[in-house]
Amino acid sequence: MATTTATITINSSDLTGDALSLSTTTTLYKAGQTVGLENTSGVGRTTYTAAVTDTVLFADDSYADAGAHKLYIANKATDATHYIEIKVEAVTLGRLYAGDWMFIPWDADAGTDIKVTTAHAGVVVEYMAIFE
Amino acid sequence: MATTIAQLTLTSSDLLSDTLELTTLASIIAANTNGLTRKKVLKTAVHADALVIYTADDFAAPASIYIKNTADYHASDNIVYVYDDTTSGDPVILKLHGGAFAFMPTNADKTLKAYSSTSGTVLESMVIGTDQ
Repeated sequence: MATTTATITINSSDLTGDALSLSTTTTLYKAGQTVGLENTSGVGRTTYTAAVTDTVLFADDSYADAGAHKLYIANKATDATHYIEIKVEAVTLGRLYAGDWMFIPWDADAGTDIKVTTAHAGVVVEYMAIFE
Repeated sequence: MATTIAQLTLTSSDLLSDTLELTTLASIIAANTNGLTRKKVLKTAVHADALVIYTADDFAAPASIYIKNTADYHASDNIVYVYDDTTSGDPVILKLHGGAFAFMPTNADKTLKAYSSTSGTVLESMVIGTDQ
């Protein structure tokens, strides 16, 4: 079994009256077990040469149902207006603007494809699944 | 306008034959936050009084959400389900085991609520965005 950890830190000196400094680490386990996730898609990087609508980035039927998979997605665009919109099937999570990233657990149950919409050409998306 | 730095680090010495160490950083330019909250998730199913993580339209789009399940890992207990209370059918968008966290964007126009497989699971969350 592999041991993979994810650490998030959130810092700001001026968002709140006192400095904000948050850091937490989690070990990425399989669903229902204390056994580490063993597979990864690798870090992918796609340039969308034209705007796309609801293009599947992670297809649920490619991963085990009811899993504790983890997804990392980042918008590597440099133009601040170039966003990507992320959906879980038909449910919009939100937009990642240039430089933004997200990290979420994903069970890959049927009807939970992760989809990307871009409004501009040339948007670069970086992504990785760590999965069972 | 405040600046908040959100950084993700994914590391593993044995997921791949080479060491994995991915670090990504986002600068969030936004003036407001609801603060780092820590609350018990009391409901065990979709419910009108389920814990509200974010109320639709409290912030302008885009906003960022951090959510952490503070419980210890367990296969079936203390699993927190985050769902979209605005969309028909209350679709679950995240399933967080104990110790897991998520960081993701939101278009800020949907109410997000949570229930747990075990009443009393403690959830931490924070929304960073711009008041409207």
